[in-house]
Amino acid sequence: MPTFDVQQFRQQFAFFQQQPEWVYLDNAATMHKPQAVIDAVTQFYQQYNSNVHRGAHQLSQRATTLFEQARSTVASYINAQHLHEIIFCSGATAALNQIAFGLMHTVLRPGDRILLTQLEHHANIVPWQLHCQRFGVIIDVVPLTPDHQLDMAAYQQLLQLKPKVVSFSHISNVLGHIQPVADMVTLAKAVGAITVIDGAQGIVYQQPDMQQLDCDFYVFSGHKLYGPTGIGVLYGKTEQLARLTPIFAGGEMIDSVSFINTTFNKLPFRLEAGTPNIAGAIGLSAAIEWLQKYNNQQIVQHKSLLLKEFYTGLTAIKAIDILSSSVHNAGIVALNVDSEHPADVAELLNQQQIAVRSGQHCAMPLFSYLARPGAIRCSFAAYNTLDDVNRCLLALEQAVEILTA
Amino acid sequence: MTLEQLLADTTPALLDIQQRDLTEIKQAKDWQAKYRVLMQLGKKLPAIPEKMKQPELLVKGCESRAWLMHYHDKATDKHYFVLDSEARIVKGLMAIMLCLVNGMTTAELCQFDLCHKFDQLNLKPYLSQSRGNGLTAMVSRIKHCCG
Ligand SMILES: Cc1ncc(COP(=O)(O)O)c(C=O)c1O
Repeated sequence: MPTFDVQQFRQQFAFFQQQPEWVYLDNAATMHKPQAVIDAVTQFYQQYNSNVHRGAHQLSQRATTLFEQARSTVASYINAQHLHEIIFCSGATAALNQIAFGLMHTVLRPGDRILLTQLEHHANIVPWQLHCQRFGVIIDVVPLTPDHQLDMAAYQQLLQLKPKVVSFSHISNVLGHIQPVADMVTLAKAVGAITVIDGAQGIVYQQPDMQQLDCDFYVFSGHKLYGPTGIGVLYGKTEQLARLTPIFAGGEMIDSVSFINTTFNKLPFRLEAGTPNIAGAIGLSAAIEWLQKYNNQQIVQHKSLLLKEFYTGLTAIKAIDILSSSVHNAGIVALNVDSEHPADVAELLNQQQIAVRSGQHCAMPLFSYLARPGAIRCSFAAYNTLDDVNRCLLALEQAVEILTA
Repeated sequence: MTLEQLLADTTPALLDIQQRDLTEIKQAKDWQAKYRVLMQLGKKLPAIPEKMKQPELLVKGCESRAWLMHYHDKATDKHYFVLDSEARIVKGLMAIMLCLVNGMTTAELCQFDLCHKFDQLNLKPYLSQSRGNGLTAMVSRIKHCCG
């Protein structure tokens, strides 16, 4: 097996040819798209554009075939047992909203408990909060250890409260820490909880195996996996998807309608109301097929090399406060310059054409726990190079110099 | 600390910024020089004590928070302001904005065009990202003060 050729990989992203002066380290927010994805989306609009599951004509049948092939690509990528366990939606946020809404009443009753963690993205907090308040469901939160990892002892204790649902992220979008999801699922199942994994950051790190992981739900967004925006996946086991009340109604999800009663279509259509993002699904499928040409182990190695260089470089810069641990890290580093506001640091990096995110990264509960006003976040992808790492380090050094002058 | 004291400290600081720093910013030879000045500006303005940062004074940017206090001298119909921000660059930019509007009458304030003024100072790019840094929110809060 030849080694990972980052230049060859990077060349497939037109973005870097268009913006050669930029160092893009905001990959946890969204990733760039390879030509294969752009071509697949363009080709669909130019050659086959039609609605799915509807037209009597061949064009619609062609679009339907492509759309259903996309479902099949996703299903085999994450090793789902059945095609209908892949629900297309607009992204991780939409999927988590569907799950939180869908489990109320059918599974969650007043007085029941659910379990979340301190480091969740707002998308895995607020939908629960919204519905739990209305339905009288109690939310418990797993705290962190002093080195900002999930406190597994506390997790086990909180499981003793018998939560009906446990929902946690695969990888923290702020710290980059990889959670021990396999163990967490096993422990949750032992107390009979439904397990939900927010894979928004996890999906690009690792090809997750649904049958091995054995979680009940796993959700992710296409745009964080080299795919288009506006497409995402809600994976659920058949029997769990069947328990979800649809959050949206109308269109293909319906079997028969009268003003007395409506019966719903079967899975997956029951949870895919309205015209789906057809081009998005085709684009996501193209992203997965393209990505599978590469060896993920080599990509992981490449990214950990970048991370190692970055950490080494950071220790040489004075006054840096690193929030992320370098172990069990998927390639995301949250940091601050001592006693400086992250917005100032990010602006000085922006001046040097280093794209990072700053602020609280939709994880306010985490930042109140960390007692920091926010952080800047450098997130690395497979197309980043050692040169990107070094330019970011130099820019940080320059920023520190200006800030502490 | 009272609003009167803060106003008394702010006005000479703004005068100093207007007389010295604005030219320096306009003539800065590179971005580093410009930012070094910008970050010093914020330091010249007094900080609003934590106790006085009441929620109604908060002006929220996407990434940082700022606070604005307002005083309207009814006798002369002039408006005076005190502001603070968590972020130094933002505070510097807001200080420049304040130089331009502090002491304006209601009519002047209503007509004030920040975009045009920032363009003259070669600072217009900062307005385009101002949803994030809260500059736009600050301008509209200031404008709101004239009724
Ligand atoms: C951990 C995590 N969960 C959920 C989301 C929400 O993803 P989207 O905005 O694509 O729906 C994100 C995106 O930032 C994330 O990082």
